[in-house]
Amino acid sequence: MNKMNKKQLMRFITEVSFAMDDIALYLDLHPSCQKALTSYDNYKSMRNQAVKDYVSIYGPINKYQVNDTNYFSWINDPWPWEREGNC
Amino acid sequence: MWIYEKRLQFPVNIKETNAKLAQDIISQYGGPDGELSASMRYLSQRYSMTDSKVKAALTDIGTEELGHLEMIGTIVHQLTRDLSIEEIKASGFDKYYVDHTIGIWPQAAGGIPFNACEFQCKGDPITDLFEDMAAEQKARSTYDNILRLCKDYPDVYEPIKFLREREIVHFQRFGECLEAVKETLDFKNFYAFNPSFDTKAPCLKNS
Repeated sequence: MNKMNKKQLMRFITEVSFAMDDIALYLDLHPSCQKALTSYDNYKSMRNQAVKDYVSIYGPINKYQVNDTNYFSWINDPWPWEREGNC
Repeated sequence: MWIYEKRLQFPVNIKETNAKLAQDIISQYGGPDGELSASMRYLSQRYSMTDSKVKAALTDIGTEELGHLEMIGTIVHQLTRDLSIEEIKASGFDKYYVDHTIGIWPQAAGGIPFNACEFQCKGDPITDLFEDMAAEQKARSTYDNILRLCKDYPDVYEPIKFLREREIVHFQRFGECLEAVKETLDFKNFYAFNPSFDTKAPCLKNS
């Protein structure tokens, strides 16, 4: 299991997600660039694993990830704009 | 369709309130060159865009701008959440407070409400992409101005600096979008016709 704490793990998700967002904008205009595609794929693997780890320990970051059948954990505080929010 | 992710694009963690700065920064929420204008502009322009690459870029940049809108809302919220009534009166925030308390409402720094006339969707790919490049530069200038006002507040400075950098990247991408559209047009005259409409009804006689 991931060795990062909650804050570090969310920080990592934020970083790799940003890398994917930025590369995606480049790929929109250069859809055959192999270098960018490889980089996108690398960050995608890192992000998938980190999100999987985060969700299994701390709960969903989108509502499709809710696994709890007793309580809709999606509503749990904090929201990103709040003190000690997800960032 | 959109899926909300419970996180910000870049961390915002402001420890001290500052009603003066909040009143300046809210311009990037609902002001003339703000993130609400940006997201609505790009997402609306998609329907009359002809090039697949550009449809993707408008979708992805428009979506990122919604994330920036959330970051600006967060900055203003965190700058105002713990204000006392004395601070509200002393900072001049009372004018905003009387109508919105400390809720977040789209307006310019001067108090002018958000208005859809702050952006355009002309339905002409060339015209719209020039607008988009200008919009990114105008937003970058606004962030330049905000950075000068918040130099002594690192909690505010860092996310604003990030947002300014994104304006530059988006400007570059829209420049490439414009080139992509031009490649499909008459190289002697890019403005000869509107590629999203004139194939059905040319604007000039005998064309």
